Amino acid sequence: MGMNAYDLTNWIAQSQAEVIQRIQRSLVMVHNGRRGVGSGVAWRQGGYLVTNYHVVAHGRNQYATLPNGQDLPVRVVAREPDIDLALLQADAFYLPPALVADSRGLQVGQIVMAVGHPWGQRGVVTSGIISGLGTVQTRGVRGAVPVIRSDVVLAPGNSGGPLVNAIGAVIGINTMIIGGDLGVAIPTHLVDLFVSEALGERAEVSG
Amino acid sequence: MTEQYPLNALSEAMVAAVEAAGAATMMVNARRRLPASGIAYTADLILTADHVIEREEDIKVMLPDGSEKAANVAGRDPGNDLALLRLDSLVASVAVPAAQDARVGQLVLALGRPNSEGIQASLGVISASGGPVRTGRGGLLERYLRTDAIPYPGFSGGPLIDTAGQIVGINTSGLARGASLAIPVSLAWQVAEALRTHGHIRRGFLGVRSQPVPIPIAQQSALGRKQASGLLLVGVENDSPAERGGLMIGDIIVAIAGQPVTDPDELLSTLTGEVVGKVTPIEILRGGSPTTIAVTIGARN
Repeated sequence: MGMNAYDLTNWIAQSQAEVIQRIQRSLVMVHNGRRGVGSGVAWRQGGYLVTNYHVVAHGRNQYATLPNGQDLPVRVVAREPDIDLALLQADAFYLPPALVADSRGLQVGQIVMAVGHPWGQRGVVTSGIISGLGTVQTRGVRGAVPVIRSDVVLAPGNSGGPLVNAIGAVIGINTMIIGGDLGVAIPTHLVDLFVSEALGERAEVSG
Repeated sequence: MTEQYPLNALSEAMVAAVEAAGAATMMVNARRRLPASGIAYTADLILTADHVIEREEDIKVMLPDGSEKAANVAGRDPGNDLALLRLDSLVASVAVPAAQDARVGQLVLALGRPNSEGIQASLGVISASGGPVRTGRGGLLERYLRTDAIPYPGFSGGPLIDTAGQIVGINTSGLARGASLAIPVSLAWQVAEALRTHGHIRRGFLGVRSQPVPIPIAQQSALGRKQASGLLLVGVENDSPAERGGLMIGDIIVAIAGQPVTDPDELLSTLTGEVVGKVTPIEILRGGSPTTIAVTIGARN
């Protein structure tokens, strides 16, 4: 169609930047006293945030930094250590929930990006592809749970942050402690079920 | 959607590429540790890395549909780290080689199927292409590709593909310690064809140990060659082609069949399959004087 390579790569780069902007509106930094930071993402209206359980498992003075730089205290609404998830709430009623994709139709090779705060550096983007779709054995009653593996570079501080697809919709929550290896994300259909149950909503997914 | 989001279009293209090439990517179980990968060269021949074949019996190949098939070794080339396995059944999808050589900067995906969870992939670019390189397996890889795509455990023998799903190389971690290398598809296909026909790759054999030494200017002019170094023979095997041809310790090899030889890599690359059994002129310096000796090159086992 007469598009040269420079236009094409520019177009892709611009598209990638837009996608990142979309998710960064819903991205928070979760502070846990002196135990460091993790990432979190707004999941429901009303200031409901999802992060990793291990980010908020211990410690006091937990608070979240919003995209506008405001710090707000958070309370833990629900926790699910087996799949390393926690639901938090902050008085951030205007924080837009992230666009969430159904993770049941994922395919190996899809472009994904992790957005978070590795080593405490804010809003860092790393990209790659879904490298595998498998399961990880958990210790609890859940047994084997599906996970997303990716070749995206993650570091402490990415924990609890979103893994997004090529249109900026969340497909998983990054975690570094289940499965024992780098680059595992809990798929959004599990996250959504956890959030729905915690909020007493009628679950869309039958577990 | 894809019109609005070019990134999504690229993403969809890569999913399709993984799907297409993944259908021709098998699990190869021929070692004690984690299984490795292989690709369907033809409907009944699986091309894989030689170093993942630790046993020649009880080799199992798991097809993408999850069924497990028995396989036998059809041929091995440890030098290029390639092996060909024969299945007693047919696979549905055969790998498609890229028509062009891969270029530095090109987007590529490394694929593997080391377990029954499905295809695995990593993304990167061609970082370099080069060669020849010594393999540390007694061989010399004529050409190689280097990529920054992560070589996950069990990816050896799997394909390196382009965004159209065509094969640009075969992954191997068995060649250079730790580095993620791939054997370019044109070389891999050439080797696979030879393995299919002969069961092995023929390589020439002299039977010498050597080290490079400088050639003084005076001797260079006596040779009529501007060549700064040659290969000093420090050992000649008993009853080897070199000994039968009359090569002796202390000789300095300067050229073989007209090709200058300045280091051991060049010696290996002149001893190709084509020279096996042929009477070949070897130019040497003996006691400082140029002389030419005819040697019948043998075959390396």
